[in-house]
Amino acid sequence: MIFHSLDFVVFVLAFVAIYWMLPHRAQNVFLFAGSYFFYGYVHPWFLILIATSTTIDYVSARGMEARPDWKKRFLWLSVISNFGMLGFFKYFNFFVDNVHAVLAAAGMEVSQPVLRILLPVGISFYTFQAMSYTIDVYRGELRARRSLLDVAVFVSFFPHLVAGPIQRASFLLPQVETPRRFSPEKARTGFLLIAWGFFKKLVIADNVGVIANKVFALSDPTFYLLWAGVFAFAIQIYADFSAYTDIARGTSRWLGFELTENFDHPYMARNPADFWRRWNISLSTWFRDYVYIPLGGSREGNWRWARNVLITFLLSGLWHGASWNYVLWGLYHGLLLVITRARQILKPAARPAHPWLVVPQIAGMFVLTSIGWLLFRETELSAILRDLTLSPFASPELDRQAGIYLCSLALLYSLPLWAQSIWVELNRLAPATCDEDDEISVAWPRLLVQGAACGLALAAILVFRSRTSLDFIYFQF
Amino acid sequence: MPVTVATSPPASRGRTRSVAALWSLAALMLLVPLGIRFVNAGRAGGPLPPSYLPAFEGPRVRQAAFAAHRLPELQRLAPAYVVIGDSMAGTRIDERRLAELTGRPVAPLLHPGSGPAFWYLALKNWVIASGIEPRVVFIFFRDTNLTDVMFRLDEQFRWSLDLVAGDREDALNAVLAARTDRLLYQLHAVIEDTYQPDRARAWMEPALTNWPARQMIPSRRRRDEFFAGLNARFSFDHLRPMEAADIQILEDSQADFDRYANESALPLMLQDARRAGLALCFVRVQRRPVGGKPPRQSPALARYVEDLRRYLTAHGALFLDDTGDPRLTLDMYEDGDHIRKGARRLYTEIFHERLRHLFP
Repeated sequence: MIFHSLDFVVFVLAFVAIYWMLPHRAQNVFLFAGSYFFYGYVHPWFLILIATSTTIDYVSARGMEARPDWKKRFLWLSVISNFGMLGFFKYFNFFVDNVHAVLAAAGMEVSQPVLRILLPVGISFYTFQAMSYTIDVYRGELRARRSLLDVAVFVSFFPHLVAGPIQRASFLLPQVETPRRFSPEKARTGFLLIAWGFFKKLVIADNVGVIANKVFALSDPTFYLLWAGVFAFAIQIYADFSAYTDIARGTSRWLGFELTENFDHPYMARNPADFWRRWNISLSTWFRDYVYIPLGGSREGNWRWARNVLITFLLSGLWHGASWNYVLWGLYHGLLLVITRARQILKPAARPAHPWLVVPQIAGMFVLTSIGWLLFRETELSAILRDLTLSPFASPELDRQAGIYLCSLALLYSLPLWAQSIWVELNRLAPATCDEDDEISVAWPRLLVQGAACGLALAAILVFRSRTSLDFIYFQF
Repeated sequence: MPVTVATSPPASRGRTRSVAALWSLAALMLLVPLGIRFVNAGRAGGPLPPSYLPAFEGPRVRQAAFAAHRLPELQRLAPAYVVIGDSMAGTRIDERRLAELTGRPVAPLLHPGSGPAFWYLALKNWVIASGIEPRVVFIFFRDTNLTDVMFRLDEQFRWSLDLVAGDREDALNAVLAARTDRLLYQLHAVIEDTYQPDRARAWMEPALTNWPARQMIPSRRRRDEFFAGLNARFSFDHLRPMEAADIQILEDSQADFDRYANESALPLMLQDARRAGLALCFVRVQRRPVGGKPPRQSPALARYVEDLRRYLTAHGALFLDDTGDPRLTLDMYEDGDHIRKGARRLYTEIFHERLRHLFP
C-alpha cells in the first residue's frame, strides 16, 4: 500500500480509530495484523520473506542468550539468512549480468540464465532494522525479547516499513512493549508532519520529478538541460524521501510512537561530513555503528580511516541499488570526505571562518551534492562520462533557455522547501529565546498559523498536485 | 494566550485544551482551502463545462479540441486500410510500405500513450463519422489492453481523449460508470463541489508554469515559439531507448475475459463497426522476447487470448496474434515492446504476408 493513495487514507483512519479502543496487548496484535495487511496488500507472498526474517532473528537472539557459547553461530545464522535473502532478491541479477559481461569480455560466450526477480519493496530497510536487533543482542547492548509478537511488530511496524527511517531495536522495541496513551499533542504534531509530508510529495517532488524524468530520458542532453534535470532531481529526491519520513513519523505519532528524525535540512550542509549528519540519518548512523566503527573507525591513523570511510560509503552506495552508478555515488561521497579531511590536516584553519562564508560554503556543498545526484540518477556509466564532459558553450540557445526555464520552474515549486530550510538554519544561528514552557504549550496565534499552513498545504495539494503520480524513489531500494 | 498541554495541573483541563487545539487545527485545515472559491469568484467566466464522461470525471476545461481536421483528411485519402493504436502500432507499421505492398492508401490513426477508450472514439468519431469505407480497420493492442477500458485513462494520459471525443460520449460513459471506483469519484466530486480546485487549476497551473517564461521572454510570440521548441526538444525523436520503457506488467487478475469483456469498449467497437459495415481486425502484438523466446504466457493469459479469439470470431471480427511468430526476433526490438525503426519495414512485410488474404 502506498501513502499517497485513497486506500492508505481509509486504512490509516480506520486503523487509528480502532487501535485506541484496544488494550495494550491487543494493540500490538492489531499493529502486527495491520502491518502485514499493509505490506502484503499488493503482493501477499512478500509476507513470507518478512515473516522468515523476523522468525530467524527472534530465534537467533533467543539462542544467543540461551546458549552463550553458540552466540557467534546464532549471529552468523541471522547475518547469513538476512543478507542471503537481501542478496538474492536485490543483487542476483546484478551478479549474473556482471559475470556474463566479464566472461563475454574474456571471449567466453555462455548462455545467461533468465531469472527476473521482483524486488520486494522495503527489504533493504527491514533487513537492516532486523539486523540491528540481533547485532545489539550479540554485543550485549540489548536483551533478547521473549515475545515474538513484539519483535514482529518492531520489524514490520507499517508507518516506516517500506522506506524507513530505519529504527534501532533499542529505540523502538521499548515503545512496542510499553503501554501507550493517546496524546492529543502528539496527534496534533503528527497531523502537521503528515500535512507537510503530503505537500512535499504531491506538490513538490512529483512536479519537479517530471522535469527530472524528462531530462534524464533525453538521448542528447546539453549542458543547461542536463544540470536543470540534476537540480530538479536534487529537489525531488529530498522532497520525496523526507516526505515519506514525515508521513511515517506523523502516522507513528497518531499511534503513540516516536520515530527518529531522518533529515535535518541537508542542503544547508557546509561540508561533506555535515551533509551526512543531515541526510538519511538513520542509514548513515546504521553504517557508522555496524560497519565503520567495527572496521576501526578513526582509531588507527589517517590511512586506515580513509580506507574505512571508502569501504563504508561503497557499501552504502551498493545498499541503494544493484548498479555500478550507486557504487560510484558511494565512492564519490567517500572521496569527498577523505579529501576534506586531508585538506583540514594539511591546511588547518587558523581562525574561525567569517559568518558570511557560510553562504558560499552551503552553495559549494550543494554543487558537490548535485554532482553526486548525477551519478545516482544516471544509471549508464557511458552516459555519466558524456554528461560530465558537456560544455556550457556548446548548448544551442533553445537548450540554454530551456535549462534556465526548467530550473526556475523547479525552484518555484520548491520555494516552501527552501524557505523552511533557510528559516530553520537562521534560527539555529540565533540564540534560543523560548523557555521550557514553550515546549509543552500551544499558543493560539501559533496554532492559527499552523492551521492556516495546513490549510494552504491542502489547497496547494488540491490545485497543484502533479498529474503524474510517481512512486516514492526510495521504494526501489 | 498559551494553552498548556497535559503536564500542568489540572491535567484534565490541559488535555481538553489539547483536544480542542487538535480539532481547531483540523477545522482550519478544512476551512482555509475554501479560499480557492473566493479566488475563483474573482475570475471572469462561469463554472467549468461538464466533461463528456461525467461518470468518470467532474467538470473540466478540455485540454485539446476535437481534432475535426481528421475527417476531411480521411475523406480526401479514402484509405483502404486504417491502422488504429498506440506506439505498439506506430513502431510496427510502416504505412508507406504497407501502401506499396497493397497498392492502396493506408491511414494511420495513432497516438502514443493511448488506450482502448481512445481507439474506440477514433473508430467512431473519425473513421465512421468521416463516412469512408476502408476494407479493413486494424486495431493494435497488447495482451489484455482491449478489455481494460481503464488502461491509460489516468490523468497523465487522459487528455489525449480530448482529441477524439465529442461533446457527449454516452456509450463510453456508461461503460466507465460500471468500472469507475465510485468512492474515489464521489470523493472527487464532493471536493470539487466544496473547494473548486479543478476550476482553479485550469487557470492557476498555466499561470504558474508560464511565469518563469514570461520573465525570461516578454514577447508573447517568441514565448510561444519557445514552448513549441521546448515540446519538440522532448519529443520521441530525442528520447533514449530504454529496455524497460513501456513494458506493461500484467497481473493475472486482469486476464479474466468473461469478467471484463462486457465492461469494456470492445462490444461498442464491434457494434459500431457492424452498423457502419466495417471489417475490424484486432492485432495482438508480441511483447519483447526473453532469452531468445517469446515472453512466457501464464495459463490465465493463454485462456484469455483463446476466449478473446472466440469472442471476436463470433462477432464477425478478425484476430491476428503475433505472439510466437519465430520471425519476430529480439533484434527487431528497440526498447520495451517497441520495434526499432530499422525493423518497421520488415515487420510490415511480415504483417502483410500473414494477412495476405485481407490484401487482395
